[in-house]
Amino acid sequence: MSEPASSSHIKPVTLIGGYLGAGKTTLINRLLNQPELPSGTAVLVNDFGDINVDESLIRSESNNGNVIGLSNGCICCSISDDLSQALDQLNTLPITQVILETSGVAEPARVWQHCHYPGFLPKAAVVVVDAVNFEQRSKDKYVGALVKAQIAQADMLVLSKTELNPHFQLNNLTPQLTSRDTKLIETILGWQRAGAHAALASETTKLPRFSAQTWYQEEAVSQRDIDTALRALDASVQRVKGWVETDAGVLQVDKVGANVAIKRLEQDAKPNILGLVFIFYVDQNSRTQGNPLTDWEWTKTAS
Amino acid sequence: MPITCLPRAIKEHAVLTLFKARSVITMNTAMPRASAVLVRDGMILEVGEPEQMQPWLEGQEYKVDEQFADKVICPGFIDPHLHPSMAAVLLPMEFITAMRWKLPWGDIDPVTTADGFDLRMQALHASKEANEPLFIWGYHQLWHGSMDKARIKQVSDERPIIVWHRSFHELYMNDAAMSMAGIDPAQIKPGMQIDIEQGHFFELGLGFAINRLNPWILAPEKYAEGLQRLKQVVHHGGHTSIGDLATGLFNFDTEAQALAEQLEGDDVPFRTRLVVHGTRLTQGGRKPEEGPAMAEALLSHNTHRLSFARHIKLFSDGAFFSQLAQMQEPGYIDGHHGEWLAAPEELERHIRAYWQAGYQIHVHVTGDLGLELTLDILQKMQDEKPRFNHGFTFEHFGFSTPEQIRRIKALGAQVSANVYYLHELSDSYAKSGIGYERASQMARLGSCLKAGINTTIHSDFTMAPAEPLNSMWVAVTRQNHAGNVMCPEERLSQQQALEAITINAAHTIGLADITGSLRAGKRADFTVLDQDPLTCEPDALRDINIAATVFEGNVFPIE
Ligand SMILES: Nc1nc2c(ncn2[C@@H]2O[C@H](COP(=O)(O)OP(=O)(O)OP(=O)(O)O)[C@@H](O)[C@H]2O)c(=O)[nH]1
Ligand SMILES: [Mg+2]
Ligand SMILES: [Zn+2]
Ligand SMILES: [Zn+2]
Repeated sequence: MSEPASSSHIKPVTLIGGYLGAGKTTLINRLLNQPELPSGTAVLVNDFGDINVDESLIRSESNNGNVIGLSNGCICCSISDDLSQALDQLNTLPITQVILETSGVAEPARVWQHCHYPGFLPKAAVVVVDAVNFEQRSKDKYVGALVKAQIAQADMLVLSKTELNPHFQLNNLTPQLTSRDTKLIETILGWQRAGAHAALASETTKLPRFSAQTWYQEEAVSQRDIDTALRALDASVQRVKGWVETDAGVLQVDKVGANVAIKRLEQDAKPNILGLVFIFYVDQNSRTQGNPLTDWEWTKTAS
Repeated sequence: MPITCLPRAIKEHAVLTLFKARSVITMNTAMPRASAVLVRDGMILEVGEPEQMQPWLEGQEYKVDEQFADKVICPGFIDPHLHPSMAAVLLPMEFITAMRWKLPWGDIDPVTTADGFDLRMQALHASKEANEPLFIWGYHQLWHGSMDKARIKQVSDERPIIVWHRSFHELYMNDAAMSMAGIDPAQIKPGMQIDIEQGHFFELGLGFAINRLNPWILAPEKYAEGLQRLKQVVHHGGHTSIGDLATGLFNFDTEAQALAEQLEGDDVPFRTRLVVHGTRLTQGGRKPEEGPAMAEALLSHNTHRLSFARHIKLFSDGAFFSQLAQMQEPGYIDGHHGEWLAAPEELERHIRAYWQAGYQIHVHVTGDLGLELTLDILQKMQDEKPRFNHGFTFEHFGFSTPEQIRRIKALGAQVSANVYYLHELSDSYAKSGIGYERASQMARLGSCLKAGINTTIHSDFTMAPAEPLNSMWVAVTRQNHAGNVMCPEERLSQQQALEAITINAAHTIGLADITGSLRAGKRADFTVLDQDPLTCEPDALRDINIAATVFEGNVFPIE
């Protein structure tokens, strides 16, 4: 608690990015309607009109959900920008954190830079990926490069519309959730980019801090060992997903809570990246809990 | 109907004025040259030779005005795309620029060295009242060396001094300016888009600074002063009509009110066609489909000089000056990508709403991928609902390919180009942007005219000087600031370039029925020159002296 006075007022910003219509506002609406939403959460959306803000949520002193609309603009065409004005406005309010819906054509890395604003710091870039449209969009002549950049710049991906396309897969090792994941809200709001500014560590929010770690597989392991290792993981590891090469072929691993689902992939469906991504939380009130994955590295040697 | 309100009702015995000139350039191909123009109540009765005008004069009171007897009368110049609101912010500042700017209160000579920049700063400092803040615009590291707080401090520690980058995207200030604006250095942390040691604010850090400098740059009286200066600049450039190509840039209501106060009235020597910023109009949850009805409602606010019409402005790709234009393969040399100002689907949805409603649509496009997207959308619109004479206009038109010129023609669209890009940026974009071939072919205007596309040129002021003769000079010579001729094949003839800033521009902003050329029935809008812009040396174009403008028959001399 030796933080200088000014940094205790620094408000973390969680970015919700993703291409037009991916489901950013839908996700934010869900977050807004959760009792777990910490009080003093402010929301900035790129178009005010789409959000079903419960009037009581904005008004109620206890909840303090402030919703401010933004519009796209470039400083060339306008003397100032809506985002800096909105952040200055938020600085005058007693808020504790910000959820920022970016425009559908924004690159999260650019907005991340913008959130280094007096009184604020970016905390995580969450990108919503549309399971129905992604394939086609990523090949589009006009926006292909953009949607791929959005994914590459994300700290966490939330797959939307998976019920319409249950077999949708993104073969990369960025932490991925779908809207059916339990603790979605806590995970998103508690997420923090590895190495995000230290000033955020002493955040006042009561939520556990969620984080991810990726293990890149270098040598094949036995199926039995990986299975045992997965089941032995600490309970703070909430989700594991990825692809592992074993004596039994390439396996797709999907662990949600205590349930481990392991599927053998067809020869031609082999992903071009092998490894596992672990999503876990760190209870900030417990000073004893360490990294739940310190033991994992042993699998490397088991072949 | 482009203008709702006609000039003063015709009086019973209005006095006729016969303007005589060394030559009258009409831009009417049926009578390209004449020696006189007969005017009644702001309207041209006849263009031609005085002897043939006798039937009009018989029994009428008339006067012969020979003040332009040794001058050349042209149709009043038109800049079909500039931004009065941006100009109102910039014009109260002091200019120190690497390029020449001719302003009513004095020419700004180019300053192309770091020492030169410091000397000018000192001179400006010495010329100001103590403690009056000094705002400087035009700094660019390419010419003026690197800037920082210490350098500004050498000029003065007490006076607040703010140095704005030419691109508008960054600024520097000294401690005095920071304390004036209430910026507390302790609030600024590493990683922000602010380098407090250097006094440097950029990107969102610039927004932070502007929000705090607003009382000095956007205060209502400052804004009014800025618009008064804009009025002088527009007059000084020889314009009698302009297009405000994004009304509602900042805030629709305050802007509309300020424009009505400052740009309407007998002392205003030009008219303004207001084209609404389409996405601003419906922002805040309105559907694009509601836009046309909202835009329609604005027509009832039209006054004599300020008028909306069924025109709308939309945006495709990013800023040209920041290399955010969206480029087709092979893109930028360093591999970075441009940016979309709206998602392609959103742009299409907006275009469809206004296309269906019969609007003339102006789309800001800078790169050839931005142009390609917009052409694809226009093709779709033509397939869905074919329209003739729709006036769809590509605004800025930075990069294009020869194949796209054919598509523009085939789809019946037109071009309004910022030709000044070529002058200021082709050299640096050749070296550190996209390579010589494509950089030299920016503003592909010769091909447009050859294809029979209605083509005009604009300044996008404050992006380029609001001097039509200067734009004309760039289009005719294609000379960049380094003195190199870039792609002479795309040069315009003097005739074509003059068309671009008169009749073609009038067509683009929907004013061709009343202005843009000189013929019986049009408004008497003239730009009066000392030299003939069709026969002078091309290099002399930008230095031709403008003696006066005439707006609807009234003479407004230029000192
Ligand atoms: N079936 C299904 N529809 C969804 C899901 N998430 C979002 N949608 C729908 O997708 C559409 C777009 O959702 P939004 O939440 O507005 O998307 P957005 O990313 O905020 O869109 P923009 O702000 O316009 O870029 C809406 O019709 C939503 O109802 C999902 O998980 N499943
Ligand atoms: Mg949305
Ligand atoms: Zn533009
Ligand atoms: Zn413009």
